[in-house]
Amino acid sequence: MTDPQHDPARALSAYLLGTLGFDALLALQRRLVYEAGGPRPVASLVVCDHPPGITVGREGSRAHIRPSPEQLHARGWPVRWVGRGGGVMLHLPGQVACYPVLPLAALGLTPAGYVAGLQAVGVDLLRWYGVTAEPDPDRPGVRANGRRVAHLGVAVRGGATCFGLVVNTDPDLRPFRDVRCDGDPAPMTSIARESSHRVTVPGVRQRFVELVAARWGFDRISLFHQGPGALPRPTPHAAAHRP
Amino acid sequence: MKVAVVLPELGAARATFSLWHVRPGDRVFEGDRVAEVLIPGAAVDVHAPADGVLVEQAAFPQDVVSAGQVLGWVEE
Repeated sequence: MTDPQHDPARALSAYLLGTLGFDALLALQRRLVYEAGGPRPVASLVVCDHPPGITVGREGSRAHIRPSPEQLHARGWPVRWVGRGGGVMLHLPGQVACYPVLPLAALGLTPAGYVAGLQAVGVDLLRWYGVTAEPDPDRPGVRANGRRVAHLGVAVRGGATCFGLVVNTDPDLRPFRDVRCDGDPAPMTSIARESSHRVTVPGVRQRFVELVAARWGFDRISLFHQGPGALPRPTPHAAAHRP
Repeated sequence: MKVAVVLPELGAARATFSLWHVRPGDRVFEGDRVAEVLIPGAAVDVHAPADGVLVEQAAFPQDVVSAGQVLGWVEE
């Protein structure tokens, strides 16, 4: 019988990375997904934000983006088509992205169960800030007072999850009038707009780590402020035991 | 021997076939991602069940599919 204290699937490596370009995110996710799919599955969480831009998931459409290519170029909003579920996401400063990389089989989860759990993390986050929110079953994400406050788009690659939930902490909401995020006709809202509490990006980042760990039962959390590529290499005694 | 590419249990009432990553005649290895299906909010890979050649596609983009359905066939 496996000792839960030594079950690698119950340990979470959380990377709090600040602003992360999309190319860097994709490279990091590929590495973490590879590690999550190995014989000793490793669960990870990337919490970051992105430079301004638009990503389009499998359920998105160019029709959801109102500005012309020239206007997008002038605003400095590159458009990227990415292999995840969900629709169009507009990335702006003041958002926090929560990207768990979890081995689904090791955690006994189905893809749909994971999506529901990630929505519940968003609802729990809003509740912590005193906002009543609900998951959106039609266009996965989180709604508060009828407007979307977080959008969700994930992928399952090699049995591990990637991409995730992007929540509006305190961004400028005016640009959302030009982009129908996830095809929703109403512009988005933010936690700061809906909450009477003090809302900060670092606070939301920390809360995400705690909520993800609680939701899926991770009892050991390792926090990193650099990606795994920038971390020290294995110690010499570990390297010496390699075959 | 032909081995079926079967849609695994996704936990969703229904799913939509998204795309094939390989074409008939392409060689695949067990565990390769060969196709993708969509459930609300998620794109999920489907893997090759065996080493061989994809000989038939039985599902196509926008098809509604369900767990256990045969999506294609691999000839070992």
